[in-house]
This record gives sequence, structure tokens and C-alpha cells, in this order.
Amino acid sequence: MAHDTHHHHKESFFTKYIFSQDHKMIGKQYLLTAIFMGAIGITLSALFRMKLGWPDTQFSILESVLGSDAAPDGMLDSNWYLGLVTLHGTIMVFFVLTGGLSGTFSNLLIPLQVGARDMASGLLNMIAYWLFFLSSVLMAASLFIETGPAMAGWTVYPPLSVLEEFQPGSGLGMTLWLLSMTVFIASSLLGGINYIVTILNLRTKGMSMTRLPLTIWAFFITAILGVLSFPVLLSAAVLLLMDRGFGTSFYMSDIVTSSGALDATGGSPILYEHLFWFLGHPEVYIILLPALGMTSEIISTCSRKPIFGYRAMIGSMLAIGFLSFIVWGHHMFLTGMNPFLGGVFTFTTLLIAVPSAIKAFNYITTIWKGNVMMTPAMLFCIGSVSTFISGGVTGIILADSALDISQHDTYFVVGHFHIVMGMTAILGMFAGIYHWFPKMYGKSMNKRMGMVHFWVTIVTGYGVFLPMHFLGEGGLPRRYYENTNFPMFDHFLDLNILISVFATIGVLSQLIFFFNFFYSIFRGPKASLNPWNANTLEWTTPLEHVHGNWIGEIPTVYRWPYDYSKPGKENDFVPQTVPLDDNEEEH
Amino acid sequence: MEGKFVIIIAVALFFIALVQLMKIYDLAAKVRGNKSQEKVTRGENMLMANLMLVFMVFFFGFIIWLIIKYGANAGLYKAASEHGEKLDWLLMINWYIILPVFFLTNSLLFIFSWRYYHREERKALYYPHNNKLEFVWTILPLIALTIIIVFGIRTWNDIMYNKEKGQVVEVYAYQFGWLVRYAGVDNQLGEANYKLVSSTNPLGVITDKSINDTYEEIDTKVLSIDQELKENRNANGDLLIPKSKADKKLEELERLKRRKYRIEAAIDKGESNLITYSSSDDDVIVQELHLVKDQPYTFIFRSKDVIHCPWLPHFRAQINSVPGMETSFKLTPTITTKEMRMMPEVQEHYKNINEIHNERKRRIGEEEEKVLFDYVLLCNKICGAGHSNMQLKVIVETQEEFENWIENNGDKKRLTFSGKEVSWSETKEQASL
Repeated sequence: MAHDTHHHHKESFFTKYIFSQDHKMIGKQYLLTAIFMGAIGITLSALFRMKLGWPDTQFSILESVLGSDAAPDGMLDSNWYLGLVTLHGTIMVFFVLTGGLSGTFSNLLIPLQVGARDMASGLLNMIAYWLFFLSSVLMAASLFIETGPAMAGWTVYPPLSVLEEFQPGSGLGMTLWLLSMTVFIASSLLGGINYIVTILNLRTKGMSMTRLPLTIWAFFITAILGVLSFPVLLSAAVLLLMDRGFGTSFYMSDIVTSSGALDATGGSPILYEHLFWFLGHPEVYIILLPALGMTSEIISTCSRKPIFGYRAMIGSMLAIGFLSFIVWGHHMFLTGMNPFLGGVFTFTTLLIAVPSAIKAFNYITTIWKGNVMMTPAMLFCIGSVSTFISGGVTGIILADSALDISQHDTYFVVGHFHIVMGMTAILGMFAGIYHWFPKMYGKSMNKRMGMVHFWVTIVTGYGVFLPMHFLGEGGLPRRYYENTNFPMFDHFLDLNILISVFATIGVLSQLIFFFNFFYSIFRGPKASLNPWNANTLEWTTPLEHVHGNWIGEIPTVYRWPYDYSKPGKENDFVPQTVPLDDNEEEH
Repeated sequence: MEGKFVIIIAVALFFIALVQLMKIYDLAAKVRGNKSQEKVTRGENMLMANLMLVFMVFFFGFIIWLIIKYGANAGLYKAASEHGEKLDWLLMINWYIILPVFFLTNSLLFIFSWRYYHREERKALYYPHNNKLEFVWTILPLIALTIIIVFGIRTWNDIMYNKEKGQVVEVYAYQFGWLVRYAGVDNQLGEANYKLVSSTNPLGVITDKSINDTYEEIDTKVLSIDQELKENRNANGDLLIPKSKADKKLEELERLKRRKYRIEAAIDKGESNLITYSSSDDDVIVQELHLVKDQPYTFIFRSKDVIHCPWLPHFRAQINSVPGMETSFKLTPTITTKEMRMMPEVQEHYKNINEIHNERKRRIGEEEEKVLFDYVLLCNKICGAGHSNMQLKVIVETQEEFENWIENNGDKKRLTFSGKEVSWSETKEQASL
């Protein structure tokens, strides 16, 4: 989109803040929506952790927050417990870490870092955001209906999710869930196509693919993964919708309800699992890669050192992206599928550990002999790498079909994926917010609060999820409303209290972030143009956002973005816009 | 209501306090002449770097404390099945590879962050890549993973490709409980079909009697719906009840007729029913799972309504139970319940569990009880409101004890489904004749 940058037309409030087609504004809109959804998501987790930590205590706060249907006399209802768990998972996975994370930063950073005036299609971009907004509203609304939200777990396996008779949440709540997800997928597809086209076509002069910052590579691969896998979830959702509403039986066969045998025959719930996880596993990397891309960028900038093994980093992201499409079966080792397939999926899944290990070692080598500025963003990156390692190694156990027999669906799994996917991505997202806040709002966030926020988050995060591995080793299944029906789990009572205490502190401590964020938008000190002395193009744009990003010509790029502390240079950074010296090697 | 009010006020006060603190902080910063929120001072850098080390120590300490306190199996003890021992061994191999990697890489990360914090006078090393180094850390994980993959897939094949047919036992899952069916002397389960499931035939076992019972049940329902519809029409044949309600009734009617038709077409073999479905004659349905030590078992799992997942933590065994399909798992128990209860670690553990259990009972005002170790089968796939209390008692015993139990319970608790009622011992005598 070739904008005439000198022609600065006056925008109304509506076109500037609401129906904006400017990628920076849309990025901020995604972020605000994600923060709102994130607040709901983590609050839900704090609420159901109360029940798990103190199974016999009545909390009047539960009744006042959730209403007397969900928590009569302050005791959480068991159906509603599952509802909270389901919505927590759905919101965090899709709305915060997919829509929020990649929506915010792909929108903000892709045009700024590749040197484009805007996204390839501003209109599609705007539509994508508003679909995301609509789907968020639908999902949040399902918390307010009498029969409760979807309750079948975030994977909503049929037949549980098909008939209201099996659980009340499979009625209207589930319908809303499916509608919301359908809209969400449409949004994510529009967004994804836009990102891919922008990266491929709108790079500025000199910005070859191997001069792209790793953030852009990460967003690029993420968008491809999304475009290839989300349609499969859409088909899964549509078939489920038809099973629920139109009497088809794609996912159902041989089912008996209290009113007798159902007609449905010939379908299989396993079909749904295949379709779901064909998205579900790439989804993990859709969540993870943007966070890893941003940590690569921030770690390099704040260590004042080029990212180690730039090409290896790209290669491993591509490898991870490719492999992520052929590993979905490891979620289904125990569905009774052919044991031969189990072996195949074990093999492909464990292969992912190789590119992941390369990434981890490259991060560590980047920090080695660096000159590490401990900005809040950098702290979150270090945390993110740590959780990536800690959660990654336990993945090796779950990837092993044999070991999965005794670990599947226990708390070991919950601990594993919350550390590797949840924490790594959330910490990466925080890092991104702290790092690019000056670019988004032209203000600085308070650094001390950022530091406190980091330490509380990492301590409580590990405090919650490390002990869960041991619950899992003790055989405790996930999604249990209470563990007190089995005396064999009684020795976990105190550990569960510990987890709940950490969870409550962790959730409350996010108030520090919310406060810092909103306070700084309005009252924060004015940011400088290039606060972290970074090389990438976004820091060459004016502080005040202008439509078209650069006043005048788009800068030309002469080098890769990681020339930090290059020998023979006066400064410890050389922006991409600085031409190479006569006999300077690129890198 | 007051609760809500207090919470709102507390939250509001918290934010006001924060705003005030921020103002003070801003003012103090101005006085000190340090306005920038971007530049991290040397003191802050050092503090954060040191905190990295402190955190690492606590982080590792926490994990080591957890490992010491809960150990590898966190209260599941030694595996009580043949394949379970292999799995535990494999798990330990994995931990021995994984834990050093975990501690090593995490310490490198935190130690480097601590060692190389920002100082103005230092300059970072320009070190964009080193192919040798990258090659090394591609190959090393590959080697470690090859070991893990080879051991893993071998164990998996070992367990899953076990061709030996053990004693057949069916576990049937429903919202929210389990039923167990022993295959009897012929070691063959009688065929079952979901269309025959009823309160008297909970597993839908096909027998001449269950087919006829189902016909009768369907006919009765059809009649009553017909009757109801007739009563709700006036002389002209117009409906007196809302059309939607009538449609529902008609739909139900059609469904019942279809069901009957399908039974007639696909299941009912008429006079040869008695011969075709005779293998169910010696099946026994019970509500507890009793297993004989060292006896190989082949479990068949079916589900009535939604996906469940039978999970036998002590035996390290689980597989989904999916409506519309049969899944199977082979398992040989190696330790009886009694032997397990005698093991010192179990006794010590259960002393502890009894204390915790009864302390809770006292707290919530329930009667105290003595808890003994028991094997258990629980549901490990989200299945609805009762998911967390879907348990089946499992007992491993000697052959003798088992015979004794099934003799008494096979008759007493047995849910009759066959035309002729036979007890476990009678069928055994017949078979030996």
C-alpha cells in the first residue's frame, strides 16, 4: 500500500481509535483485548485453585463472583469447576497466547521491522481484529449463562460436548464456544494471510530474508502454521456443530443415554481427536514461536551481542514448524490407535527436541560474554529461556509412548505444558510488552515495578507448576474437581495448598503489571527514540505514531540487525540503516 | 453483599495507594536527578544479576526438596505389574539423562546472566556463530535422543504387541461408574450390542432373553406414546398439545421403531439365538475387579456414553474407553493387595495418610476411619460432573481367594441377564463334564 505520507488527513475518533486500519493501532487493540481476556483467564484459575487447595472451605467470594448457581454457599459446583477449567484453557491458549500474542506483535512489528508503510491489506487487518473482538465477546459471554460455559475441557471432545444430557455446559455454553471459535479461526486466518503477504512482498530495499530480525522469521513461520492448521480445526468445529444440531453422526456411534440408545452409528470420537490435534499441536508452536522470536531479539539487544547462530535459529524454527505437523498423534497414544503409529509419533515428537536444544544453547551462548542490561524485558527473556528448558525436558518423557502410559492426563502433563508453553509464552509476551511499550505508546513503563513483577511471576509460576509434576508422578489425574475421594491422594493435600497459595499470589501480583501498564500509558515519562539502542528499523520511526510509519522515504537496509559490539565500531550498536564500510564483512 | 463491598473498596484502596507510591517515586527520582525509566543503573544491574544466582539456588533447592520428599513415584511404590516394572525402569533411565541436562543448562543460563551483567567499561564479545560448536550441540542431543527413542519404542512394542491371550475381563464405563464382566470358563465374552442396553441388561449382552425383553420394552413404550397421542387429539383429529411437543413424541416413536427394526435385522437370529450367543452363558458381571496374582489378563474396555479412561496407577496401565469401539490392554498383576499392605514403605506411608485423612475428617465433622491400602481403578478422561469420583475397587489375590469371592458374589451380586441362571461353580462343572 503506497501511502502518500505528506498527505496527513484528519482522522475522526472512530477511524483513529475504533475502526482503525493502521497496524500500530490494531496491534494495540489486540493487546488491550488480550489483557482483558487474560485477566479473566487467570482469575478463573485462581478461583478453581481455591477449591483444589482447600476442598472443604466455603469461600463467600466464589459465590459473589460466580453467582449462587455456580457456587452455592461458597462451594464451587462440580460442573462449574469443569466450566472454569475449560474456559481458562480456551481463553489462555487461543485468546491470550494466539490472538493476543501473535496478533499484537505481528501487527505492531511486521511493518515496522521489515520497513513497510502498513500491512498489505489494512482493511483485512481491521476485519481480523474485529472478528477477534467478536469472538472474545462471545466466549466471555458464555460465562454469564445459567447452564454455564462449555465444560468438556478446552479440547471439547465429543460425545461429552455433544449432548446437554452428559453435562449442562454442552448446551448453550458449548454452542457459544463453537461460534466463538469459528469466528476466531476466521480472524486468525485473515490475520495470518496478511502477515505472510506483508513479509514476503513489502520488505524495504535491502531487507533480504536473511537480514530479517528473528522476530519476523518467527511471526512468518507462525502465520504459515496457523494458515495451514486452523482450517482443520474449523472443519472439526463445523462437523461438531452438525452433530449437535443436525443429527449427523461424524463423531458418535453406539451411544446410550438415559432415554435409550441413540440413532448415531458409524462415527468416531477419535476422528475429532485427530482433527483437533492436527491443529492442536502446531498450535503449541503458534503460541511458542512468537515468544521465542521476541526473546531472540531482546536477548541479543540487551546482551549487546549478536544472536548466536542466526541461521541456525532460523533453521531450527523451520524444523520445529515442519515437525509440528507430524507429531499430533502423541496426544492420542492411549486412544487405542495402532501401536505402530505410536512408535512413529514417538520418533517424530522426540526429534523436535533437537532444534529446541539448538535454540536453548544458542540463547545461552548469546548471553555468554555479553554485557547484559537487566531491563525488565531482558529479565522476562531469561525467565522464558529457563522455562523453555525446564518444560522442554519433561516433554521428552511425555513424548515417549511407553512412558505416556503412566503419565498421560495426570498432573505431570499439566505441569509440563504450563511451564513449556504457558510460562514461556507468557513471559515472552511480557518481555515484548516491556520492550516495545515505548514504541506502542511513546512512554516508558516503570522499570522497578517491572523488575518486581518479573521476580514474583517467575517464583510463583515455578512454585505452581513444578510441584504438579510430582502430583502426576503420584498418579493424580487432571481435571478432578476434588481429590478427596481417594485416600491414596491425601498426602498431596498440603502440596495442593502450596500450589494454591503460589497461584493466588501469582495472580494478584499481575495487578502490579496492570497498574504499571495503564498508569504508564497516561502518566509515564516520555520515551526516547531508541531507548534500548537497538538496530532494528522500528526505532527509526518517530515517537508520535504517523500513518505510514516514516515521514519521508522508507529507510534502506544495509546489514543484518545484530551488529552489536562489532569490533572496529565506535558504538556498541550499528543500526540496519547504516551502510557497510568499504571492506566490512556483513557477518 | 458486604463481602463484595469490602473487596471493591480494598481493590480501590490498593490502586490509590499504588498511585500515591508512584507519585512519591517519581518525585524522589526527580530530586535525585534520575528521571529515566529506560536506563538500568549499575546498582540495579548488579542487584538483578545477584538475584539470578539467589533464584537459581532456591529453584534447584525446591526441586531437590520435592524429589527427596516425594521420590520418583510419589506414593505409587513399586509397580505391581510385569510391564509396570519395565516402565519404571525406562522412566528412571530417562530421568538420569534429563535431570543433568536440566540442571546444567539452567545453571549455565543463570550463571552467565549473573557473571556478564552490564558494566559501562566492558564490551561484549562479537561472536555471531561457530559452526563447530553448533554441530556439537546438534549431535549431542541427537545421541541422547537416539538412546531415549530406541529404549522407548522397544518397551512400547514389548507392551503393545503382546500376543498372548490372558484371562479376558471386560470393564464397562458409564457416567459415573464401572462394571466388570468376567469371560467365564470358556474365556470368551458373550457378544454385546448397545441397542440392548437397559436397566436389567446394563452391558447390552446379547441373549435370547435380552432381545425379547428389549422388544417388549420397546413395544410398551410405543404403545404408551401412541395412546398419549390419541388422547391428545379431539374428535376432528386436531392436536390438543403444542405441535413441537407432539413432534418430539413422534420423533421418539420413530426412533423406537427404528431401534426395533435394527435389532430384528442385525442382531436377532431367531431360533438360533441360543446357540449363536451362548458364550455369554458363563459370563459373570460384578461391581468389583478381582484379579489373581501372576495371572495374565486381557482387558477389554467399552463405554456406554462418553470417552472415559480406565487408569490403574499402581499397575502403570491405562487406555481410553471410547463409545463405539473396543480397546484393550494386557496386564499381569504381580503383587497381591495383602502383600502390598505388608510392605514397610506402604505401611509407613499409610500411617501418614491415616493421620492426614482423619485430621481432615475431624475438621469437617465426619467420622474417623482406618484407611488401608487398596488398588484402585479411576477415570482419567474428563467425563462430566462425577469424573473425580469414578472409582472401581481393585483387589489382587490368590487363585483360591478369587474362586471363593466369585462363588459368593457371582451369585449374590450378579446381575442376571441370561435366560438360565447359573453360578460360577455350576458352569465350571458343566465345562469339565
